Amino acid sequence: MVEGDGNLFSMIRLQGVSKQYAENSVGLSNIHLAIEAGEFVSVVGQSGTGKTTLVKLLIAEEQPTSGRIEVGGWDISRLPRRDVPVLRRQIGVIFQDFKLLPKKTVAENIAFALEVAGETRARIRRVIPQVLDIVGIGEKHERYPHQLSGGEQQRVAIARALVHRPKILVADEPTGNLDAINTHEIIEILKKINSFGTTVLLVTHNREIVNHLAKRVITLLNGAVVADEVKGKYRLS
Amino acid sequence: MLSLWRIIKFSFEDIARNFSLSAMTVLILVLMLLSVNTLVAVRLLTDEAIANIKDQIDVSVYFHPEATAEELAAAKNYVESFPEVRDLIFLSREQTLEKFRAAYEDNEKVMSSLGELGDNPLGATLIIKTREPSDYEKIITALSVPEYEGIIESKTFGDTQTTIDKVHTITGQVERFTLFLTSLFAVIAFVIVFNTVRVAIYTQRIEISIKKLVGASNWFVRGPYLMESLIFSILSVGITLVAIYFSTRLLDPFVAAMFAKPHLLTDYLLSHILELAGLQLAAVLLLTAATSTLAMRRYLRV
Repeated sequence: MVEGDGNLFSMIRLQGVSKQYAENSVGLSNIHLAIEAGEFVSVVGQSGTGKTTLVKLLIAEEQPTSGRIEVGGWDISRLPRRDVPVLRRQIGVIFQDFKLLPKKTVAENIAFALEVAGETRARIRRVIPQVLDIVGIGEKHERYPHQLSGGEQQRVAIARALVHRPKILVADEPTGNLDAINTHEIIEILKKINSFGTTVLLVTHNREIVNHLAKRVITLLNGAVVADEVKGKYRLS
Repeated sequence: MLSLWRIIKFSFEDIARNFSLSAMTVLILVLMLLSVNTLVAVRLLTDEAIANIKDQIDVSVYFHPEATAEELAAAKNYVESFPEVRDLIFLSREQTLEKFRAAYEDNEKVMSSLGELGDNPLGATLIIKTREPSDYEKIITALSVPEYEGIIESKTFGDTQTTIDKVHTITGQVERFTLFLTSLFAVIAFVIVFNTVRVAIYTQRIEISIKKLVGASNWFVRGPYLMESLIFSILSVGITLVAIYFSTRLLDPFVAAMFAKPHLLTDYLLSHILELAGLQLAAVLLLTAATSTLAMRRYLRV
């Protein structure tokens, strides 16, 4: 087990975090975690074990019932609404369903994330090719999402998540809708992003990915951490 | 500044996406404003009508033919001393007779009766105009003293107060109806603006969730809806004022036939354009902004 309270400067730190929805519905139960800057961590568990709840807590979509969550030393447990956008510009998030705007091109989808943050046109023009280059889809910047494969759409989503140069990239089942080849490519991109120093939190129930990565694995069961290994394997049946 | 520009851009995109609903919102706001302006026009015409009636009201004091010049001068000075008196016309016995003849020149019976009498049977006349119709009663009462009653044959005061009361009653009813119509349109506008924003939020829920996901500020998410309210308000006030301008041009000839003022409505509109536009814009903006805020609070949790 990796000790959750050992490092004072963890990128992500959860201390006794619980999330209860209804009386008999527990999302997370007394979680202690510490994830260091630059780590690549897989969070595994079957459906309904609290993986998505963990993501929602990290992006302040929900607040914990009890406990303390820190992101980059910032206590986000009771984050005021006005501060949520500031947090989300520091955490890139990608999802299984990509969440791209269908009526905007690849470049426009990425520009959108910068526009809402008030970035200048000059910076938007500069950043778009950079992030598209990282995910290797630069030549398709004028295409619409429906003209791209699932893997390509996820690359666009990753590119968009990178525009604010986040310290953390949270990937919630990013390969859930992809075939084996695209899954492999997306994981390679995540590893590449991790190699730049970005902390990557990969939420998945894909055994092959987890075993192939051979990096830290946190296993959740019924909202609790049941295993936390530095070079872990997918151990759920 | 850049964010404001983008909020304006997003709000125009929203309007284009929900064009029919946006057009309906503007239409209802225009109808509401038209009824408000009808109210303004009714007020203007009422005031003008009442001013005209007031101008036509006077009280005539008919003196006995035997009243001496000194007595008449004293009575005239007495009436003149009242601050309520705006205008005073004194007609001598001859002038009164001349006026009487002119008034009844077509009436043979009256004219022959006058001829049979031979001598001028009429006394001098004092025609009094006061500042307000309510002042006439005061003047009549003031003249009902023994000092003057002896030389006064009669006092006539047309039943103009009744006419004014009637004008007030009719215009009051018109105003109440227009006010009811305005309130009705305000309620409809409220419901429609509310639904416009609600539908916009619903159709853009994915876009909104993505905006929030990538770190858009609350102002950036809510801004376009408030901007839409501003656009709806400006558009509706603009369209209404143009419609009102052409309507006044169209109605002025009919109004001129009653009030002898060729451009009464248009002149009023043009001389009060800033006041009318400003007040109506403020009122509509308040209505649409409050409605949008309510819809956002209910359906858009940022």
